Amino acid sequence: MTRALTILRRRLVGSVFVLLIVVIGSFLLLEAAPGDAVDAYIVSTGGDAGMIELLRHRWGLDQSELTRLANYLWALLHLDLGQSVTFSRPIRDVILERLPTTLILMGSATALSFGLGSALGIYAGARPGSFRDRFLSIGSLALYAVPGFWLGLVLIVVFAVDLRWLPIGGIETIASGKTGFSRATDIAIHLVLPVSALGFIYLALYLRMMRAGMAEAWRQDFVLAARARGLPRRRVVLAHVARNALLPLVTMLGLQSAQMLGGSVVIESVFAVPGLGRLAQEAVAGRDTPLLLGIILISAVLVILINLLVDLAYAVLDPRVGAGEASA
Amino acid sequence: MSELTISRRGLLAGSALLLASTALPAIGFAQTPKKGGRLVLAADSEPRNLNPAIVASNGVFFISSKIVETLAEASFDGKDGLQPRLALSWEGAADGLSVTFKLRDGVKWHDGKPFTSADVAFSALQIWKPLQNLGRTVFKDLEAVDTPDELTAVFTFAEPTPFQLIRNALPALSSVVPKHVYENGKIEDNPANNAPVGTGPFKFAEYKAGQYYRLTRNDAYWGKDEPYLDEIVYQVLPDRTSAAAALEAEEIQLAAFSAVPLADLDRISKVPGLKVITKGYEGLTYQLVVEINHRRKELADLKVRQAIAHAIDKDFVVKTIFLGYAATATGPVPKNDPQFYTADVPTYPFDVAKANALLDEAGYKRADDGKRFALKLLPAPYFNETKQFGDYLRQALAAIGIDAQIVNNDSAAHIKAVYTDHAFDLAVGPPVFRGDPAISTTILVQSGIPDGVPFSNQGGYKNAELDAIIVKASETLDTAARTELYKEFQKNVAADLPLINVAEWSFISVARDTVGNIANNPRWAVSNWADTYLES
Amino acid sequence: MKRLRRFLHTPEAIAGAFILALLLVMALTAPLFFPGDPQAIAGPALLPPFQDWSLPLGTDRLGRDVLAELFHGARTSLAVGLAAAAAALLIGAVVGTLAGFAGGLVDEALMRITDAFQTVPSFLLALAFVSIIGPSLGVVVAAIALSAWTGPARVARAEVLSIRERDCVAGARVIGMHPLEIAFREVLPNALPPVLALSSVIVAAAILTEAALSFLGLGDPNRVTWGGMIAEGRAVLRTAPLLSIVPGVALMLTVLGVYLAGEGVVESTAVRRSLS
Repeated sequence: MTRALTILRRRLVGSVFVLLIVVIGSFLLLEAAPGDAVDAYIVSTGGDAGMIELLRHRWGLDQSELTRLANYLWALLHLDLGQSVTFSRPIRDVILERLPTTLILMGSATALSFGLGSALGIYAGARPGSFRDRFLSIGSLALYAVPGFWLGLVLIVVFAVDLRWLPIGGIETIASGKTGFSRATDIAIHLVLPVSALGFIYLALYLRMMRAGMAEAWRQDFVLAARARGLPRRRVVLAHVARNALLPLVTMLGLQSAQMLGGSVVIESVFAVPGLGRLAQEAVAGRDTPLLLGIILISAVLVILINLLVDLAYAVLDPRVGAGEASA
Repeated sequence: MSELTISRRGLLAGSALLLASTALPAIGFAQTPKKGGRLVLAADSEPRNLNPAIVASNGVFFISSKIVETLAEASFDGKDGLQPRLALSWEGAADGLSVTFKLRDGVKWHDGKPFTSADVAFSALQIWKPLQNLGRTVFKDLEAVDTPDELTAVFTFAEPTPFQLIRNALPALSSVVPKHVYENGKIEDNPANNAPVGTGPFKFAEYKAGQYYRLTRNDAYWGKDEPYLDEIVYQVLPDRTSAAAALEAEEIQLAAFSAVPLADLDRISKVPGLKVITKGYEGLTYQLVVEINHRRKELADLKVRQAIAHAIDKDFVVKTIFLGYAATATGPVPKNDPQFYTADVPTYPFDVAKANALLDEAGYKRADDGKRFALKLLPAPYFNETKQFGDYLRQALAAIGIDAQIVNNDSAAHIKAVYTDHAFDLAVGPPVFRGDPAISTTILVQSGIPDGVPFSNQGGYKNAELDAIIVKASETLDTAARTELYKEFQKNVAADLPLINVAEWSFISVARDTVGNIANNPRWAVSNWADTYLES
Repeated sequence: MKRLRRFLHTPEAIAGAFILALLLVMALTAPLFFPGDPQAIAGPALLPPFQDWSLPLGTDRLGRDVLAELFHGARTSLAVGLAAAAAALLIGAVVGTLAGFAGGLVDEALMRITDAFQTVPSFLLALAFVSIIGPSLGVVVAAIALSAWTGPARVARAEVLSIRERDCVAGARVIGMHPLEIAFREVLPNALPPVLALSSVIVAAAILTEAALSFLGLGDPNRVTWGGMIAEGRAVLRTAPLLSIVPGVALMLTVLGVYLAGEGVVESTAVRRSLS
């Protein structure tokens, strides 16, 4: 328990610095952008010089960069993410509205890629070098090599348009008034395609890592010993080989969380899922600096939290890991 | 969805009539409209400010024109191309200093309060004139709005203002919002901007960001038996390939504003139960223009501009990029405009040899690598077609020895680069023709516009003669004389080429057969849909 | 020769090497077979494949030769992948070596920056970077490198930490070499192999990221890339599916080839190491 606490404390201190770097770095990057929120807004309306000046003043864009950065950091200290210029609403509300959707999408996709990936990895790794091993490992690689948006489009054409088994997009049937269990089912049905598109891409990672780990484990002494003792093969595979290969996958889970968030930008756009990824894209297009900063900050916090959980889980699962090592 | 990002394509009535005729029988004028039902349609972007009195753009109208009504709407057969909405009649004084509107009786706001001339006066003076993107120009001389009784509003102007201009501006610029909702507090921050209150056939019900907008029937609407629909739902579909899929999967019943890619129309028109409709956008014409930076010494030379005009195969553009859903342009006013268009202008037929000769004459000989000079080309990113035309223009220029490098920007960066920083040599833009040159094309030619004004002349072009015509036309009250001035304007623009007009297009709708009363006015997609219905 | 045979010891590695060789030939011969601008309009628009033998794979929306675009696309896709990987490895190796060798505050600061980059979703970073600076090939490469250098940096640092206590380093210290010289002349070369092992992953990711950026309209319009071809073809996915399938398959094979070959290299070096 104390070890867990040490990990926690070290992590938290480091995270504050990391978040500060993220915020300041993103702010400077966004400030370097040609065109501001007013330029983005004016695309849809047109307007004369007076109107543009009016808007810049109203949105506080006529202040200097340093003033705005200072104001932003000061507000952040009070846990205030500021006001979105494109939504004219508090950023916290805008993000909180989208966060659950992205969490569900990411969580399900991670579960799919991790669950199916490691299961297939065990199946493949049980007989290294066999046909099924090669087939699965190359097949999953091929999936990994398909651009996510293209996979999504093909899934839509096949399963939503031609077969009509599943809806083409969205998170739930619009304005259906469903509640409770029927709403949950509705959301689940809508998520099948986007989760598949996102999850299948990352499947290969877990599958290949699993089978590589297993191939390694087969050569290790304790496995050789277990085989020599004449344990049933199935038992050797699950209890010794696979179990040993599973730990690095847990680390991968943490590392991949940031990648998944990025990948969901494209998938959310293809499937019209109102999540954080699409919001980020809109924020970039609308030059909504505070909104994008908020999104980056929230996803950074999310990634840090996931990695922390992974480390803690690791510490519990594998007693060999010392606290110092885990926090490095 | 904004006026520009409304996204893509379209046709011009002329060249697309053939297609229209195949779709027309299905539009169903013969049936008696049926009551009830929910119409679900595609929206490809999400305007946040839904107040059409402040943001007069097609993206906002697409949704809010069903909620907030204007004084008059465009019409195929009405007098001056108008039909009454909140105003029953409009009369301009001979001196151009006043316009009198008689208003409709018995109209109620969605919150039950009566609609009166005070609302019109408030909207005009407090919103259209100071805050509206277009109203700031048209109503700049509006001094007062007198309300002798509850159903009469008299606009008085400090300077003579052509009645023709006011009339042409009515469908887009005259959205009336309730005074009692807006009179307290800052108008820009009013919550009704995001949940509008109006007199229209539909009430705003809810907006789920990233998902949908929902409108419900206004049971107290002034139109007899109208509206027919119970609900309208705009489903947000950000990816531009999804509208066609959603139509085929019967998840939506309508995709307006060419949400279905042009290249897909041929296939989709053969899908049973779907119809392609090319009518209903006659009042929403977009112009494909090449904007020119006259600060570049090569481009300041008329011969070079003429050479570029000759190098562009307009027929190819219409046929290949717009797949026939467009018309070639001759000048700054589109061919389908009933009031101002003239064909009597200098033209530039596609002729590569002549273009090369003109460039040689201008003194820009080909170097050893076959190139004369290099240019920066910035196609506007709002439409697929403007980007594709950029790709085409690069090839067309290569044929005459001009090496164009395309610079790809997103919308915000494009606006900044072209209209504020002037960091372009050629740009491809899609300006909107708004039915009157005073509020559309002239701004692309006129000099003296401050830096940073989007969709205006930022190419450093200055022509005293053209400026004089523009000013004179804005003060000329007589309709015939004013029209004549704009014909002269077209001739001069085509001769001196401050910009090159390539094509004109509007949009396509794809709908299920069950949707009735589609496309029955020239601004149908942005009109109130009181008579639209669904067969079951 | 021996090494090559060891590299080609599995069918996967052979397949990977074959695909990469084919790709290289396509990239190198593109200007020979298809001289001039591959984006030039070569025929009627949307010509289906196998209709006209001068345009074997047909044409796209503007009438450009799909086969020519495919060949020239191989050049850019490969260039983007290699350049991005090279840049990412370089940044990563330098940062990792500095951090590992210097230790202390420098190490701490560099690793927190690495953490910061790893915490931000890399595609989001690339998206923001490209839309802000404007899409050109160089910017796309920089954006990808910017989001991919952290892996190599961590690996390099870990290697350096284990190497810096070795004899050769101690020896260099004794003869009074400058610490930076030691870091980059003695330590880095030894730390490099495991870092290079990451290159196949980065090349593959770079090619895919470029495609995804093109999908969102952030590709370089003056160059043909496979990602851009897919992005443009998807608007006519139902009408002319081959326009996005052909470059899609090319992209998939390339990424597959890079991966398989990369794995072959890693495995053969691993075999060599375990032998020695």
